[in-house]
Amino acid sequence: MTQLDQSARPRVLLVEDEPNIATALSFILQRQGFRVSTHSDGATALEAVARHAPDVVVLDVMLPGKSGFDVLGEIRSGPRPELPVLMLTAKGQAKDRERAEALGVSRFMTKPFSNADLLSAVAELSGLDIPARPG
Amino acid sequence: MATKGRGSTGGRIRERRLALGIRQAHLAAEAGISASYLNLIEHDRRPIGGALLGRIAEALDVSRTMLSADVDESLLDVLRAAGAAQNLPSEELTSAAEFARRYPGWARVIAAQAERLAAQADTIEALSDRLSHDPALAEAMHELLSTVAVVRSTASILASTPEIDANWLRRFHANLDADSRRLADGAEAVVSYLDRAGAGNDEARLTPSETVAQFLDGRDHAFAELEARGADAIPELVAGLASPEARALAAEVLTADAEDAARLPLEILAEAEQPDDLLEAARGDAALVLRRLGVTDPARGLVVCDASGALIRRKAVAGFSLPVIGAGCPLWPLYEALSQPGRALVRRLEMPDGATWIAHAVAAPLPQTRFDAVPTPRSTMLLTRAVRETGPAVPVGPGCRVCPRGDCAARREPSVLPG
Repeated sequence: MTQLDQSARPRVLLVEDEPNIATALSFILQRQGFRVSTHSDGATALEAVARHAPDVVVLDVMLPGKSGFDVLGEIRSGPRPELPVLMLTAKGQAKDRERAEALGVSRFMTKPFSNADLLSAVAELSGLDIPARPG
Repeated sequence: MATKGRGSTGGRIRERRLALGIRQAHLAAEAGISASYLNLIEHDRRPIGGALLGRIAEALDVSRTMLSADVDESLLDVLRAAGAAQNLPSEELTSAAEFARRYPGWARVIAAQAERLAAQADTIEALSDRLSHDPALAEAMHELLSTVAVVRSTASILASTPEIDANWLRRFHANLDADSRRLADGAEAVVSYLDRAGAGNDEARLTPSETVAQFLDGRDHAFAELEARGADAIPELVAGLASPEARALAAEVLTADAEDAARLPLEILAEAEQPDDLLEAARGDAALVLRRLGVTDPARGLVVCDASGALIRRKAVAGFSLPVIGAGCPLWPLYEALSQPGRALVRRLEMPDGATWIAHAVAAPLPQTRFDAVPTPRSTMLLTRAVRETGPAVPVGPGCRVCPRGDCAARREPSVLPG
């Protein structure tokens, strides 16, 4: 990724209300070369989708106010319905996955996941061949 | 004569022969007897022993002992079931008797382990079921897994980034310290909860009311059959419930729902947006309006309690958890309405996650069955996610056990969630 200039780096919108998870995920994504903007609730995340044109959205299911499902639904019915969305949840229940898939989620990961798996998924969704570091 | 059936000598000869795919006439010729005589032996109608048993054993490529020793049929059943559970081919399953005769000690060990595994599977299924249907435990596990996620991610960063900046290092160490303590507290709370839940009870068994609650949740409390055919549909709807008590209880709930549906049919509901729009059609019965909107609209939640505050109907809605066990939040207007029977309340509620909800609640006495009886009110609350409404909101929770509000004056018991 070092060969890419700043503007070519994929932009990741991270929507996570748990500050320590947001810190860790933001760190590993930036270290990998992504540009990351972090939001702790669905409403500001949707504004950021319109304003910053991210390449990938990493979206927690449990958020204050609008849930991750609400945000995903609004993205899919908005001006960028094709925007790749990776959903994160600590609830591995089948109905959550089914609901996310019905709404058109691109990928679905259950916590706890490895940093490597997350980076690999974001890289794949961003359309770049980025070798993930271990961890 | 030996025990008749698969455990008898004749039965074992037949079993072994079939397992090898040998025709009866062929084995009889090998053993120097007629096919009809072998048939009598295999069906325990002729005794066998001595040299003939030796010849048959030799032809079947087993020892005499394998054919003559008795094997406990129940042991064989367990072994065959264990093999079938592991998808052993049928020709392997037929050799269970031979295995048990040759290695009786090991056969008993395998059978005991298979039975223990089956019992553990039942326990896991019961716990998994509890996890799926108990919001208190599900919330606690959600919190626990979220904390595990951040600990794992942060630890991986520290392990794989030797060149990390000192400021980041301090920050991650502090986060790791806080999250690991949160993790320990959360794990302790969940274990303690499971211990309490399992103490003295067989958690695999559900009470009739739990069975009915599962049945209603499985249909999201909405029954098109009742809307179309009324109470006539009830027998077939409840037929799948295991116990007569559960069927009777479910029928009672559905009968009330069918009566509600007849009084306020779907075509009238379809024209209304707010509960107020339906009061005239419901002849002022506010509880009827709330129940009908609650059971027919998947985006709304419904809670009904009796005069003691016990929740007798819970229809959860995404974002507003309802406790399966125990009472709800004392600040819900459901309980406020109980103290003012007949007065329909509207309250704006704020859940701990910041989401706001509109709650309509009303309490009304059940119809009197005799004069001078003590009135028994029931309170009904409809939950609708607030979209346009603004203004002050009452801070509430899903119930004390899973509520993170530490400074709540109404708290009656500690939360299982880490603080």
